[in-house]
Amino acid sequence: MFIGTEKLTHTYMPGTPFSTEALQDVSFNFQKGEFALILGPSGSGKSTLIQHLNGLLRPTSGQVIFDGAIVGSNKRELLHLRRRIGLVFQIPEEQFFSESVYDEVAFAPRNLGLDEKVVAERVEEALQKVGMQVNTVKSWHPFRLSAGQKRLVAIAAVLSLKPEVLIFDEPSVGLDPAGKKNIFNLLKDLNQKDGLTIIISTHHLDEAAVLADRVLVLKQGRLVMFGSADYIFAQRKRLNELGLALPQVTEIMHSLVEKGLPVSTEVYTLEQAKSEIKNIKRRN
Amino acid sequence: MAGYSAIIVEAKNVDYYYPGEGENASPALSGVNLTVQQGEYVALIGPNGSGKTTLLKLFNALLTPTNGEVLVRGIPTTNEETLPEVRRTCGMIFQNPDNQLVATTVEEDIAFGLENLAISSAEIKRKVKETACLLGLERLLCQPPHLLSGGEKQRVAIAGILVMEPKCILMDEPTAMLDPAGCREVIETVRELNHRQNITVIHVTHFPEEAANADRVIVLNQGQLITSGPPEDILADIPMLHSLRLQGTAAVELAALLRKDGYPLPLKILHKRELVDSLCSLERKS
Amino acid sequence: MSRSITLGQYLPGESLIHRLNPRLKILTLVLILILLFSLERFGALTAYLGFALFLFAVAKVPFRYLLRGLRPILFIALFALIIYFFFSKGGVVLFRIGIFTVESEGVKEGLFIVTRLAALVLFSLLVTLTTTPLSLTHGMSYLLKPLRYLGLPTEEVAMIMSVALRFIPTLMEESQRLMRAQLARGADFETGSIFRKAGNLVPLIVPLFVSAFRRADELALAMEARGYRIGAKRTRMYEDIIFPRDWVVLAFVLALLLISFTMDL
Repeated sequence: MFIGTEKLTHTYMPGTPFSTEALQDVSFNFQKGEFALILGPSGSGKSTLIQHLNGLLRPTSGQVIFDGAIVGSNKRELLHLRRRIGLVFQIPEEQFFSESVYDEVAFAPRNLGLDEKVVAERVEEALQKVGMQVNTVKSWHPFRLSAGQKRLVAIAAVLSLKPEVLIFDEPSVGLDPAGKKNIFNLLKDLNQKDGLTIIISTHHLDEAAVLADRVLVLKQGRLVMFGSADYIFAQRKRLNELGLALPQVTEIMHSLVEKGLPVSTEVYTLEQAKSEIKNIKRRN
Repeated sequence: MAGYSAIIVEAKNVDYYYPGEGENASPALSGVNLTVQQGEYVALIGPNGSGKTTLLKLFNALLTPTNGEVLVRGIPTTNEETLPEVRRTCGMIFQNPDNQLVATTVEEDIAFGLENLAISSAEIKRKVKETACLLGLERLLCQPPHLLSGGEKQRVAIAGILVMEPKCILMDEPTAMLDPAGCREVIETVRELNHRQNITVIHVTHFPEEAANADRVIVLNQGQLITSGPPEDILADIPMLHSLRLQGTAAVELAALLRKDGYPLPLKILHKRELVDSLCSLERKS
Repeated sequence: MSRSITLGQYLPGESLIHRLNPRLKILTLVLILILLFSLERFGALTAYLGFALFLFAVAKVPFRYLLRGLRPILFIALFALIIYFFFSKGGVVLFRIGIFTVESEGVKEGLFIVTRLAALVLFSLLVTLTTTPLSLTHGMSYLLKPLRYLGLPTEEVAMIMSVALRFIPTLMEESQRLMRAQLARGADFETGSIFRKAGNLVPLIVPLFVSAFRRADELALAMEARGYRIGAKRTRMYEDIIFPRDWVVLAFVLALLLISFTMDL
C-alpha cells in the first residue's frame, strides 16, 4: 500500500447539534505511480478525504497511511508529509498573493527553508514542467494572466515542492475546452514521464477517464465503489444512479452495444472509438 | 413549440468598449447585430474573452452600448426611467451561484426582486410560494443559501428571476461550477420554462451538449458575431469550431473522424442517437 | 464543510419567546436592562434572575447554552467579588486573612453586583438565542427609523447588515480553505515572533481581500440586475407585524417593571 486510509471517519463539529459525518469508515489504497480518480457528486466528501491524505485534516477515527507508515499527528511529521504530497485546491489561482509569477512559485520552496539558489532551480524546473520559460514569465503579474495560464502557474506553485504525489481537487473547473485539454495533458505527462502518483477528485469524466488506473466513488461520505478503472466504468447503470456520467464517447459505445454492434465499451477517447468502430468490419 | 411572434431583444450595430482601457484598446464587442424572438432558446458560444458575457450584460442594461442601440421589447436600454421594466423583462443568472444570492434564507432571496418592485407583502408571499412550488423548492424555503448544493443554489437564482415574470432569461455559464446532477437539474428546469411558458432563453455555454439542444446557436469571437444558425449546421462545422478552439458534441466529432476515414455518414448528425442510428444502418448494409 | 459554521447564537425553536415580534423583544430587553441598572434591593434583583431562568425554561434552551453564555463574564465576576469582599467596608467583620478583613457589607455588595451582571447577561443572551440575526437587524433598523429624519440611511444600513450576515459563513469557509491551501504549500502561521507572524499572514489576507472584492463586485451586479436601486422604495415580504400576543407580553412586562420599581423604592 502506497497511499490510502483504514476505516477513516471524519465528523465535523462533533458533540454539537451541528455535528455531521463527512466520512464514514472509508478504507482504500492506491499504488505508487498510479493515476487515481476520486469520484462522487458534490457534497459526497471528496474534498474532506483528500485533505486527510496530506494531513490538513485529522481523522476523527481510523488512519491515513502513506508509504507503508501510519500518518501520525506530530507537527514535524505532518510538515514532512506535506512536502512529499502536493495538494492543489479547487480553483488554485484564488490563492495568489505575490507580485510576480516567480515569487508565487517560489513560495513553497522558500517555506521549506531552502537556499535561494536551490529555490531558483526549483522554480525554473516547476515552470518548465507546466510548459513555461522562467525567463519569459518570472516578472509577470500572476493576477494578469489568462485563466488557463493562471491554473498552470498554480500547479507549478505546488510542483516546486517536488512532491511524489500530486493531489488535485477538480483540476479543470471553470476552464474552457482548450484550457481543460491542456491541464489533462499536463497531468498525463507528470504521471507517465515524471512518475508522479496522481490523485484527482472530479465529477467530470470526459477528460479524466482515459488516464485513470484506479477509481474510488464516494456517496454521502461512504465508499460505494472501488476498483480498476475498467471495472468501475463498466458499471454504467450504477454510476448513473450515483449522479455520475461516463464520457460522451463511452455513452455512444454503450448505445452501439445496445443496438447489437460488437464493440467494446472500454473506450474513453474519440480515437479509441474510431478504431473500435473500424474493427467491426474486420470482425464480421 | 409556440411560433415566434415578437422580437424580445435586439442589438443594432453595437460596439462596446470597456471604460478606462485607453484610446486604442480593442472593443469587447464590435458591429454586433442580433434579434431574438419571444420563445426562442439561443445558445451563445465562443472562446474565453469573446464578448459573450458582455453581450448578456447589455441585454440586461447592466452595460449600455458605446455605439449603436440595444432594445428590449422595443425599449432602449439607455433610458433611466424604463430601467426597472427592462431588468424585469430580461432576468440574468450568473455563473457563480454563491455570489448572486442576496438574502439569508431561500424564500427571502426569491422575494428580493419583488421587494425591489415595491409590491405588497401578501402579493409577494403568494408569488414566492407559487414559484417555489413550480421549481420544486418548497422544502428549502427556510434554508440559508450556504447550506444548499450548487444545483439548488442555481435553481433558487432562477426562481428569484422567474418570480418577476420575465419574458427572457439570460444565463452566463450557469452550470460551469456544478456536478452532472446539478447541471441536469438546471438545464431541465430552464427547458421546461422555455417549453411550457414560452420564456425566451439566451444561454452562454462552453458545453457543446448544452448548445446542441438550443433552437439556434450563435458564435462569437473577438467581439464579433461570426455566425448564427440551427445547431445541426453550426455545431457540425468542425473546421470552424476547431479554428476557434471550440468543440462539437462527441457525436459530431466522432462522425467527422469517421467520415475522414471514408464512412459515408450523413452531414446532419448532431446527437448521439443520430450517429448510432446511421452507424447501425451502415453496418446492416455491409 | 459549510455545515460546520454557525451564524450568531441563534438556536432554532418554536416557543412563545421565539415567536415574539423582534422589535418589541429588543424594546422589552432595553426596558429590563434599564430597570436592572436602577434596582437597589437584593431581593428584587434575585427575583429577576429567577425570572430570567424561568424564561430560559419557557424558550426550551438547553442548560449548557446558558452556562456557555455566562462563561465570558466569569472572570469579571470573580474579579468584582474579590474587590468588593476585601475593599468594601461596613457592617460586621466576618473573618480576617492577614491584614485584610472581610466585612458583611462588602460581601453583600459583591454578591449584588455579580447577580446584577448575571441577570443582564442572561436577558440579553435570551434575546440573541431566540431571534435570528436577520430579525435582530430588521428589528434594530425599525427602532432606529426616527434617525432617518437626521439623514441616516437606515434602510440601506439594514441591507448592508443583512448582506454581511449572508456572507459571513461564505467568507469564513473561504478563509478556512485558503488557510489550508497555503498550509499545503508549506506556509507556517504559528511559529515566529509577532512581526514574523504578521508577515506570514500576507498569503492569507491578500487572496481573501481579492476574493471578497470580486464577490462584492459580482453581488452588486446581481442585485442591480434584479432591480435593486439605492434610495428607491422597497417593500418587505415579511412585514414586521405586531400580533395581539406581542402587546400582551409588552403590557405584562411593563406592569411587572412598574410594580418592582415601586416596591424597590
